[in-house]
Amino acid sequence: MSTTSQKHRDFVAEPMGDKPVTALSGIGETLGKKLEDQGFDKASVVLGQFLLLKKDTEMFTDWLKDASGANSRQAGSCAQCLKEWCDAFL
Amino acid sequence: MASLSNMSAQEISELLDEYGIKHGPVVESTRNLYVKKLKEAMAKGKKSKPSSDKTYYREEEEEVTYVYRTPPRSEMYEEGEPYMRSKTEWSEREYQNESYSSYSKSKPEYRERGYTHNMYDTPSTYSNSYLKSTASKSEVPKAQSSRLIPLWLQLIFFLGLAVFLYLVFSSMETNESIKGIV
Repeated sequence: MSTTSQKHRDFVAEPMGDKPVTALSGIGETLGKKLEDQGFDKASVVLGQFLLLKKDTEMFTDWLKDASGANSRQAGSCAQCLKEWCDAFL
Repeated sequence: MASLSNMSAQEISELLDEYGIKHGPVVESTRNLYVKKLKEAMAKGKKSKPSSDKTYYREEEEEVTYVYRTPPRSEMYEEGEPYMRSKTEWSEREYQNESYSSYSKSKPEYRERGYTHNMYDTPSTYSNSYLKSTASKSEVPKAQSSRLIPLWLQLIFFLGLAVFLYLVFSSMETNESIKGIV
């Protein structure tokens, strides 16, 4: 993967608690809004979807692209960040 | 394809299994994704089914190429002659079975040599072609039945030899251990 952003490191550093969906790396204002409209208002809800897809980053990337219109880089960044969070805290 | 969206979650998950797609539970939030993946796999599956036959033939062609590669090493054949003689009976039989199915034009003698060379030099090659030839055996049962007896003799001979060697070896060990105790 490409080098990790500050947002990525911040997210992976601690339990996500009640963080908003925009705390996920790769998810900005626009994508966050689209996800919230579909009921994915918290980062943990997106994590739930990631877990439903059995932590398969490829599947999750495809889903995120479909659901929010994210591009491959944004979706990949979000998947990577959730995967590393799971490795650390699950 | 409209039928896919009407299917129950269980049917979709069975289809995903059929196409070898790893998946989690099919629920409302994952359903669309899985249906999409299934459609992709189905589109590919239709195309890939006939091509899988082609790859099978390509593999066989590869085998022919390394058979032709071997003649330059003919000195090795002469060196290993006594050892290979015992093996040629095996390979001859399997070769002819094989040639019935796909290589009717190839010369058996020539192939025999190449076969034994490959076996001698690279064990992996031997096992590959052996597997293929056993597969072709099932396709051509007639040719096998007329040549069954030598195969049995060979098997019995090798088994007997193995048992004999094992007995010799074990008796040697017991002698040694007795000496050790005394």
